Amino acid sequence: MRWIKPTFMALGLAAFIAAPVSAELDRLSDEDLSDVSGQGGIYLSGDISINEEGGPIDNSYFGRCDDGSKKCGARFANQLKEGGGWMVLDEIRGNFAFEGLTLRVRSVDSGFGGDGEEFNGDVLEVGLPNVVRYNDVRFKIAASNQARPTAPGFQQTDIFSVQMQGDVIMEGNMLVFPTGNP
Amino acid sequence: MLASSQRLIAIALPVFLGWALSFSVLAELQDLTEEELSGISGAGLGIVLEDFKFSHGTDAPDANGNQARIFKIGGIKSTDGRDVEIVVNHLYISGSGSQYGQSLSPVNLGRLVNPYSIDVVDGNDIGVPNKAVLEFAAPSLIDPTLGFDCMSASATAGSGPCASRPATESYIGERPDVGMQMNIAVGNDRSANINIHAQSAVIDGSYLRLWGDNDRRQMVGQFKLNFYTPELSVNACSQDGSSCGSRITMTDFALELAIGNQLQPVFFDVDGGGNFVVEVAAIDRPSPGSIGADGLRGSSNAATWDFYNDYYSNPEYRSNLRIGNFSVGDRDFGSARVQGMLIQHLKIKTKDLAK
Repeated sequence: MRWIKPTFMALGLAAFIAAPVSAELDRLSDEDLSDVSGQGGIYLSGDISINEEGGPIDNSYFGRCDDGSKKCGARFANQLKEGGGWMVLDEIRGNFAFEGLTLRVRSVDSGFGGDGEEFNGDVLEVGLPNVVRYNDVRFKIAASNQARPTAPGFQQTDIFSVQMQGDVIMEGNMLVFPTGNP
Repeated sequence: MLASSQRLIAIALPVFLGWALSFSVLAELQDLTEEELSGISGAGLGIVLEDFKFSHGTDAPDANGNQARIFKIGGIKSTDGRDVEIVVNHLYISGSGSQYGQSLSPVNLGRLVNPYSIDVVDGNDIGVPNKAVLEFAAPSLIDPTLGFDCMSASATAGSGPCASRPATESYIGERPDVGMQMNIAVGNDRSANINIHAQSAVIDGSYLRLWGDNDRRQMVGQFKLNFYTPELSVNACSQDGSSCGSRITMTDFALELAIGNQLQPVFFDVDGGGNFVVEVAAIDRPSPGSIGADGLRGSSNAATWDFYNDYYSNPEYRSNLRIGNFSVGDRDFGSARVQGMLIQHLKIKTKDLAK
């Protein structure tokens, strides 16, 4: 049940941000409105698992992770040519946990070695959580002749696999904004 | 029950985030006047990383054989069937002056006025007629009278075409130190640790463009990688790091790699046997008689001659590699330069040796 908590927190925050905006439309004058931006921000802690114990499918190929004869990770196949083979991101599984991912709208008009003044606009700031804990995160890049491994004549060539575990340092802010001429 | 609620939340979380964001965006729209609105072109998404630092690696096992951090790339087999494993001991992105990754500091990636961008661009503007092209781009190159020298870590404004600025005493700059230490194990044989470090690296002008080809019904692309660094070094150390071999140092290293161009895009495919295929097709031969026997424009079909002349003379289609000085330990081997490589045909296909 630990999964439920971050969702409700995000839901609560979303409702909190949404409420003043709809209220403004009813009651505030245009001048008041122009002063309000409704940008409190969000603080998120998360714990995201992908097929940690196995996926929802149980057949001759996919199964629980404790069954050594079956694959338990998620599979994502992408066809690059009509009628051609498939690029596959296979056996995706593991768990990521982070605390303190922040989300807010920030007005930038200074800093950045002089760029801030010239930019003078709003950005969406995603505050990275400093440390992301990876718990046995794995995936595989492969090429396959079928989208589904249960299809007849299935052949797959695994190109490489990646395994990550432990604390990954990820510091800083990611700023996202429309380019062009806002 | 637990598994299904996990899945639900994995979907629900981004939806709520999107919902929350959309409201703050609505509030923004209220502030704009008609004139301001008309000036917006609805272009792509700019991304800047501020005070960014990344580090991950593999720790030595403790007394119980447990490792706090693991970062491995595996699944590869040697020709004699043994498992090959690449252990990444350390991978970092840091501010400049990191002492080969020893002291990490924050750095900005991209500029607010010239960011990394994800955009759907009009193919007519970039020589891919009547296509919407998905583009992932690093900061673009700018007018050399305004930009910074791509190589020098002390470049000043007006010295070159790069937008990213080197670090100064008062500003962390937009040129990161990047590096990696790894070792390769084939079966039980483990190589020495190999270290690769690039200082004050710049990738301005790089991009990846993807679109679909109607005739071949296939994903095609165009890839340009510019990589400039005042020092790229490679050395090998023993497993415990106690002794290291000579350092191979390449100063003023510049790679300008162009794979695919408007006339010869790169095709990606997977064949029937499950092998990955990358192909750059040759351009069509000129039709007989369209190019005169003397090869001059006057005796040829002008449009055809211009087409081939542009293909062979356009520097955009060519790849370059320049090394200011190549040295091993204290021995200098001087500079090296590979200029104007044109990929006329390329086909790479993976093959599974295990079968």
